[in-house]
Amino acid sequence: MTWRVGIDIGGTFTDVALVEESTGRIGIAKVPTTPRDFAQGVLDGLDAGLTRGGIDPGAVSLLSHATTVVTNALLEGKGATTASIGTRGFRDLLELRRSMRTDLYDLFQDSPPVIVPRRFRYEITERIDAQGEVVTPLAEDEVPALVEALRAAGVQTVAVSLLFSFLNDAHERRLGAMLRAALPEMQVFLSCEVLPEIREFERASTTAVCAYVGPLLQSYLGRLQEAVSAAGLPALHVMGSSGGVVDIAECLRMPAQAVESGPAAGVIAAALAGEQLGETRIISFDMGGTTAKASVIVDGEIAVTADYEVGGATHAKRWAGGTGHPIRVPVIDLAEVSSGGGSIAWIDPGGSLKVGPRSAGALPGPVAYGKGGTLPTVTDANVVLGYLNPVSLLDGALPIDRDGAERAIIEHIAAPLGLTAIEAAARILEVVDANMSGALNIVSVERGHDPREFTMIAFGGAGPVHAMTLASGLGISRVIVPPGPGAFSALGLVASDLKREYSRTFYTTLAGLDLGRLAEAYASMEAQGVAMLAAAGVDPGHRSLKRFADLRYRRQAYELTVPVEDGSVTPETVAALAEAFHSKHLRTYGHANDREPIQVVNLRLTAAGRRPALVLRQATEPAAARENWRDVWFPGLGLTRTRIVWRGGLAPSFAVTGPAIIESLDSTTVVPPAWTVAVNADGFLIAQETTHGVA
Amino acid sequence: MASPDIRALPVDAARFEVVKNALLSAAEEMKIVLAKTAYSPLLKMAGDYSCGIFDVRGNMVAQGPDLPVHLGSMPDSVRSVVAAFPEPDAGDVYIHNDPYHGGSHLPDVNVVVPAFHDGRLLGYGCVRAHWPDVGSATPGSYGAVTEIYGEGLRMPPTRIYVGGVPDPNVENLIFANVRAPAERIGDLRAQVAANRRAVLRLQGLAAKYGTGELLRIMDSILDYSEAMMRAALRRIPDGTSVLVDTIDGDGIVEPGDTEDKVFRVKVAITKAGDGIVVDFDGSDGRVSGPMNAPLTVTRSGVYAALKNILDPGSLIPPNSGAWRPVDVRAPEGCCVNAAEPAAVTYANHEMSVRVADMIFAAMHHLAPETTLAGSHGTGGVAIFGGTDYRTGETFISYEVTKGGFGARPIKDGINGVSTPTGNMMNTPVEILEMSFPLRVEEYRLVADTGGAGKWRGGLAAKRTWRILERDVQCATCCDRTITAPYGLAGGQPGSIGLLHLEMPDGTMKRLQGKGAFLAPAGSKLHFQLPGAGGYGEARERDPALIERDLAAGYVTPEAAARDYGYVAPPSRPLAAE
Repeated sequence: MTWRVGIDIGGTFTDVALVEESTGRIGIAKVPTTPRDFAQGVLDGLDAGLTRGGIDPGAVSLLSHATTVVTNALLEGKGATTASIGTRGFRDLLELRRSMRTDLYDLFQDSPPVIVPRRFRYEITERIDAQGEVVTPLAEDEVPALVEALRAAGVQTVAVSLLFSFLNDAHERRLGAMLRAALPEMQVFLSCEVLPEIREFERASTTAVCAYVGPLLQSYLGRLQEAVSAAGLPALHVMGSSGGVVDIAECLRMPAQAVESGPAAGVIAAALAGEQLGETRIISFDMGGTTAKASVIVDGEIAVTADYEVGGATHAKRWAGGTGHPIRVPVIDLAEVSSGGGSIAWIDPGGSLKVGPRSAGALPGPVAYGKGGTLPTVTDANVVLGYLNPVSLLDGALPIDRDGAERAIIEHIAAPLGLTAIEAAARILEVVDANMSGALNIVSVERGHDPREFTMIAFGGAGPVHAMTLASGLGISRVIVPPGPGAFSALGLVASDLKREYSRTFYTTLAGLDLGRLAEAYASMEAQGVAMLAAAGVDPGHRSLKRFADLRYRRQAYELTVPVEDGSVTPETVAALAEAFHSKHLRTYGHANDREPIQVVNLRLTAAGRRPALVLRQATEPAAARENWRDVWFPGLGLTRTRIVWRGGLAPSFAVTGPAIIESLDSTTVVPPAWTVAVNADGFLIAQETTHGVA
Repeated sequence: MASPDIRALPVDAARFEVVKNALLSAAEEMKIVLAKTAYSPLLKMAGDYSCGIFDVRGNMVAQGPDLPVHLGSMPDSVRSVVAAFPEPDAGDVYIHNDPYHGGSHLPDVNVVVPAFHDGRLLGYGCVRAHWPDVGSATPGSYGAVTEIYGEGLRMPPTRIYVGGVPDPNVENLIFANVRAPAERIGDLRAQVAANRRAVLRLQGLAAKYGTGELLRIMDSILDYSEAMMRAALRRIPDGTSVLVDTIDGDGIVEPGDTEDKVFRVKVAITKAGDGIVVDFDGSDGRVSGPMNAPLTVTRSGVYAALKNILDPGSLIPPNSGAWRPVDVRAPEGCCVNAAEPAAVTYANHEMSVRVADMIFAAMHHLAPETTLAGSHGTGGVAIFGGTDYRTGETFISYEVTKGGFGARPIKDGINGVSTPTGNMMNTPVEILEMSFPLRVEEYRLVADTGGAGKWRGGLAAKRTWRILERDVQCATCCDRTITAPYGLAGGQPGSIGLLHLEMPDGTMKRLQGKGAFLAPAGSKLHFQLPGAGGYGEARERDPALIERDLAAGYVTPEAAARDYGYVAPPSRPLAAE
């Protein structure tokens, strides 16, 4: 009897999910997050979860963790004192960025401060050209003065990023070796080790982010590991942004890969649920208190992107350069919008109804929660319309002030627009649903996927409230609400494979490609991957190595990533690669040109250690069965007497046709008219739209 | 949050918001398709293009997150297509770059595609993209010439696709007249693909809401922006502000002169109630070189500046409705209302950016807290063209480098970033060098280039290119090489731009800002952009900020002593950089 345990530290709650490997049985614990010492909250949560389940720490086979430490350190400017070293003439690379403004029409908006202040930016004489040849040798005689300056400046870490090191890393490695020898106490990050890819600013920025968060991540993970070891638990693993877990040593080698660790876990959980249910085309929809996130999973493959800015707006708008710190590591391709239960509704001076981006947050929170909130939120609209329990939530632990919610909506929305409270609440939901549709659209339609062919998996505290209405609007006729939707991301942590992505620039035309060099490049990345998996104790039968290549038409600037066949590299491999690229270009952009030369830019390898598959299951407690009725507003029907059932008591044979509401401790599922929900054998809610109509 | 400005929308408020956002995200998608499929580094890396969605009359309904300076002139481009082809067919694609028919300058090529649903015209997509070459005697089409006939291939509104496929007669004519035609064809295909995304989105909205409802909402979006803009105008005081400014030449040294002469632009802004008149009466007449701005370009500068001043929270959708309360006037044929056949190429960015800076300076007298000191005020263009010694292929490289962003009433300016009305990106050095036979030897900030003030102006960037192996044709376009960007409220001006050609033997030759020349193999172009002006009196600057600037090397100890009267306390020597 072994258990896997996932820990997701959120802004308000630390969620702990426990899954028994053999049965898929799930346990969940939610405890307050302890920002002064996260380890305390983790230990509290583990204690609650293990005690409640009667589980011995020795029975835990995997301990997996999602962290916001990297993202928060960048958002709050709390990383290490960091120096950078660049090629002579390029001291200001990090500050000059791509010279874009962050907001087109706001004269007062600035990019976040550069994480390496200018007084800690150094140069060294050296130059390698675009063919990888040395133009100016590395001035090794400058190194002693550089070492002195770094020491005198009192920096903790240094990021080295020299021009064209992705083609020829000799200068960077030599400089790195000299610095490491002279400054053994300092962490030294080399761009050729972190990210050997073209584009000097993005490479330097990624390297600087690693250096900036490295020391902090090291001490944080060290303390946490110590605490869990003392509790008799196994080695800690960390969720990476691309959706695999890595061990601590690997995480510290490339700290930038730990951004967006929590949202990635939710997508992984959705992928697991999809696999278990035999769903091949999934849109995951995760809505919490302040944001909503959407992602797409096709045939079990999670979409990842390489264009990402930590702390920036790239996940809300696709085009938001300069708002954060760019990193070029694979990050799960999420669209994130500032729409959550706490988002505030307001009317702009032109008379248009808006929802968000301001959120009432945990405090003062929605008016309905009675903690001092006065402005109407999405949650208040949901209470007024009857979707959320108008008396209490959290199984009675949170009393609800329905009248307060209604008053706020009347004062701020209904009266100015000349509407009733109900009409105004319905409009608020229409607007917030439209914002979230935008996010769902970005990951689906904009990527060339037709949402009508997809099943939505909805989670997060507020996700199941809005899921079916959103699905109808996009033409999605099937929605799944998994067990434990409110702590679903923590479940994703225990379902993840051990995974690490490797990449390197391999710049050549496809026609002029040297098969031997290509084989050699993949072999060397595969050796790295195998070494990583072996060090993590993954036995050979569970190792997987997948090759990819980034290609484009020769004169384009952005690549598409396509899979490369395993085994020996032959002319047929190259032909298949060309074919795959043309067809992906056609699918993505609507045109292709098979006479145009193809450029190879990067090679990629994903090394994964597969874990035994899990089956998620939520047991029924027939004793908990209860139901009642209340008035709930639905479009087209108005206020309707509606059946309310308690999820914990639903037997696998149960089915209900909307309008209906399914309540549970951690979430509420709204079943609009024309939707039917059945409970499957594992406790998932499977919702189907019975007639195809647009709400 | 209710305000007296609220007006009833003639359509459902929630649906209005949904459709407005859908149109904006469609314009944003167009931008992604263009960037990811275009061939020129200028488009794919530097982002010199704009995408928009237009109604059946050619009014802009939604613009992508693009170049503010294209705002005013894109609708004129689409309107001229509507006028030339009053009965479009599905499958038509139009091309056009004529500054005397609503275009901006010849390199900005507009591609316009109509969208239909059930046989009914919904509107148009338009992608304006800067082609790195449109012919003329000079690679990059940036020669200092005196008539539009010398500036390159001029295309009035022309049908280039019929029934969804390219018309080879037209394409052959175009691509026989531009350099590196294979690359231009790739750019054109990308422009068409981006427009097709617009058509798809418009059709989707028509299918969902009905064509009539969609068209009504598109109208309402224009009315909504107008109402928002009028409300914003009412919030600032009424009054008049007059400003005369000096432009640093047109690239032409007139017979008898030894240097490029400056000329003048005058503006009078009168704001009354919910309207504003911007009158350029009194500006100099036509200049010889390509610094004559078509009125549409002048308007773009005015609109972009006013949008920044009046709507810092970006609540007003930038579309044709927003400009109804703004009346821009200029005498026909003067340097800010060009008449055929005056040359126009440089004016597209140099004059529109300057007009915007003039509006910022003039509005300081009406609404001082909303505006900023002078930014670098130029496109900062450097073009290299010739043959790549590595491949034998013709190449044209068009790059922009950025100077300082003006100091603001509550904070310093920004170092090395786009002007308030532009938003182009630099080209990564590694991409540039792999694409073209150039080596960038320096790309850095220059100390002491930001004007002193309570708030310091942004620093200029400097970029230096070494010409490798073979001679190349070079052209530059940089204003503010004589007259520095202005300071405001007692702040000092920024530094002027400096261009030098360093010959292979090491001798340095100062260049004028605008014009074309031959750069021999082994020579180096040094291009230092202008720095930005400061805001407020220098003596009011917080000493802690001066010390921070000294530690960072943004300001040298000599300049700190000269401009701020600052001397480092002997007990706290500055850390060596």
